Amino acid sequence: MAESETTTPEQTSNGEQPQAQPAPQPFPFQIPPLDMSWAKVPTERPPRPKVGEDGFTLKMADAGGYAWAPDHWPYQNDTPRGSWPAQDMGLPAPYTIYDKSEVWADNCADLYEQAIKEQWKPATQISWGTIEPLAEHVEASLDQIFTNISEQAYNSNQVLMGWLKEISYGYHEVKLYLATQVFDHARHVEAFRKRALSNGGGLGYQAPGFFNRAVYASFKFTELVVYVNIIRSSFLLGLCEWGDKLGRSQADRQLFENLAHDLARHIAYGIEHLKYYLNANPQHRSHVKTWLDRGEVMYAADLRRDKPLREAFILALGDTVQEGKAKLAELRQHQLKRYLMTLEAATVYNRGDNLVNALKTIIEQP
Amino acid sequence: MKPELLQELKKEPGAEDLDLSWLDEPAAKRGLRVAPGKRGLTLEDIATDSYGDIPATTRNQSGRLRGSAPRIDAQNTPKQWPSKAASWSESAMLLYEEAVQRQWSSAKDIPWEQMPELDENLEMAMSQLCTFLTQVEFIAGDVPGQYAPNVSGEYFEVGLFLASQIMDEARHLDVFRKRALANGIGLLQAGPGAVGLLTAQDFTEMTSTLHLVGEGFVQSMFRMGELFAQSEVDKRMFRLAAQDESRHVAFGVMHMKYVMDTEPERKEEIHTYLDRMEGQLGVGSAQAGLTGGGQTSEALAILLGGGTSEAHLNEGYKKLLAIRKRQVNEYMHRLEVVGLGDRRQRMAPMMQMLLDPPRN
Repeated sequence: MAESETTTPEQTSNGEQPQAQPAPQPFPFQIPPLDMSWAKVPTERPPRPKVGEDGFTLKMADAGGYAWAPDHWPYQNDTPRGSWPAQDMGLPAPYTIYDKSEVWADNCADLYEQAIKEQWKPATQISWGTIEPLAEHVEASLDQIFTNISEQAYNSNQVLMGWLKEISYGYHEVKLYLATQVFDHARHVEAFRKRALSNGGGLGYQAPGFFNRAVYASFKFTELVVYVNIIRSSFLLGLCEWGDKLGRSQADRQLFENLAHDLARHIAYGIEHLKYYLNANPQHRSHVKTWLDRGEVMYAADLRRDKPLREAFILALGDTVQEGKAKLAELRQHQLKRYLMTLEAATVYNRGDNLVNALKTIIEQP
Repeated sequence: MKPELLQELKKEPGAEDLDLSWLDEPAAKRGLRVAPGKRGLTLEDIATDSYGDIPATTRNQSGRLRGSAPRIDAQNTPKQWPSKAASWSESAMLLYEEAVQRQWSSAKDIPWEQMPELDENLEMAMSQLCTFLTQVEFIAGDVPGQYAPNVSGEYFEVGLFLASQIMDEARHLDVFRKRALANGIGLLQAGPGAVGLLTAQDFTEMTSTLHLVGEGFVQSMFRMGELFAQSEVDKRMFRLAAQDESRHVAFGVMHMKYVMDTEPERKEEIHTYLDRMEGQLGVGSAQAGLTGGGQTSEALAILLGGGTSEAHLNEGYKKLLAIRKRQVNEYMHRLEVVGLGDRRQRMAPMMQMLLDPPRN
């Protein structure tokens, strides 16, 4: 349509002759000649997958050369591994992690798919209707514990999300796995908050926050993994393994069980990552020791100063105060055992002999 | 707490070192009994009584979640924003719950075993499109993730929604990578990518550029996936991805609306972010790469037209323009919803030309 032409719209409903509107300009687009240079790049042709009962998994997709994650990723943008890099890379990204050993774990791809398979829905897959009224002090104690779990999950969740932009794109399995961990933590925040608010109680006190702060202040990704996936997750998993002693309803037990399944994956990533890191950087074993020392000091500080939480455990675990205290001591030993087993699996041996005194003391005298 | 109960507890052997003031004088609201509704026990259900009072500003920068009792010695993390408008979206709770319910598995929920063998050019084009998509999708995870540590526990639902978006984007990186690797071609030519979105210095800037523009345009495209999908596998893939993108766009729209309602003085500021995203500063628009030119648009045109002959390409580019038109008009609609209807007169000329006349 030429520029000078106009269209004449119909009369308006009040009988007035509207002004003629200029015809819409044709969109100036010329069809380019066929190029298809993008089709001629010499990337690897993968075999067609044989999809089995697990479906088309990430590991299956990343066959042949696509599976190879180099020790150092050379591209500073979001170039996907196995694609043909652009000549003009565009803006270099603010990633800070280009070395595989800083993030890698051999089980990432498997854990990613497993996490998706095992995702549970707090709103609809917990038997909320099975929660019965409890003695006031028992409900309040459980709510204090649930508040603490919810807060720990929020801390892990927030900080981990913030680290994603540091990790370059050569290790997409890691980013994908971490996305599932982030989503797990979100559901833990939600689920335990819901429980605390559903049975005549309410939220308890916030944590002292020493360990939260250590998580926030992590300088290195492996440091973060030590705090969240090794220390925190081990102690929490130990707690979940006592879910049948703490929980008073099917809903409570389901919450602990589901949390336990998720934490098992987080610990599995933590173990394999730490192993990989130490194998690739044996000279950094002292760093891991420093992080463990620091993490244990902070964790112990929280346990020492969190009076509401301590007392909540005592009241929730026992029918009497004395029984509760004895059970708390047993629980702490169990959590410690879980933690040390995690470290052994990650090739950090004999930590039990080298625990920081503050943690040793609070475990022995909770 | 009944005083006699507390007295009984304090009298028990072994209770000498127990304080129990947290039971006696609870600092957080107690007595709540929230029952599940039709959609189960949702975040909206528990945002009740004082737990539903979401403050306009807060001094809670300690990681404490809304409604829990504060400690007098709580440690401060000043990077957490003190204002609700910094990140809030009225739809965060609803969208998070929807995200949890609508998770899907790229491994099992796409009928990969039904993948047909396509004409080589069409398969090449689909692999190229998916190479582009797998490249850019997780930037939409990295970008919001960088702001998660700034969200105070008073507004924790925002943090939960961001986590769900990150999970969605992971699935998108994964499914498009799988698609490129599923039918004999593999990944092809990478582009300059979407790293520019990481330059956002503020949550509202991030939302306006990522959710309102970037994801909005992608959502429009995915919703027209029937036009360029070559099989049931592809259709399902784009349909599921579109579903996820809709949540992200909705979050962004509601955040922007909240900002426009509570901080209308930021209007001109937001226009500058949109100027940049529309390519009005001289730097190429991030959206142009998808439907305006380059390797990805050629791949799309081949898919839309059904081949590489002149007739196929003519048809393909015609449909591509239709997609572009839809993208721009849906973008304009979003802008009107958030209160930026004056963008119509300020839009980049090449986009403005595609706008339908305003609805009266």
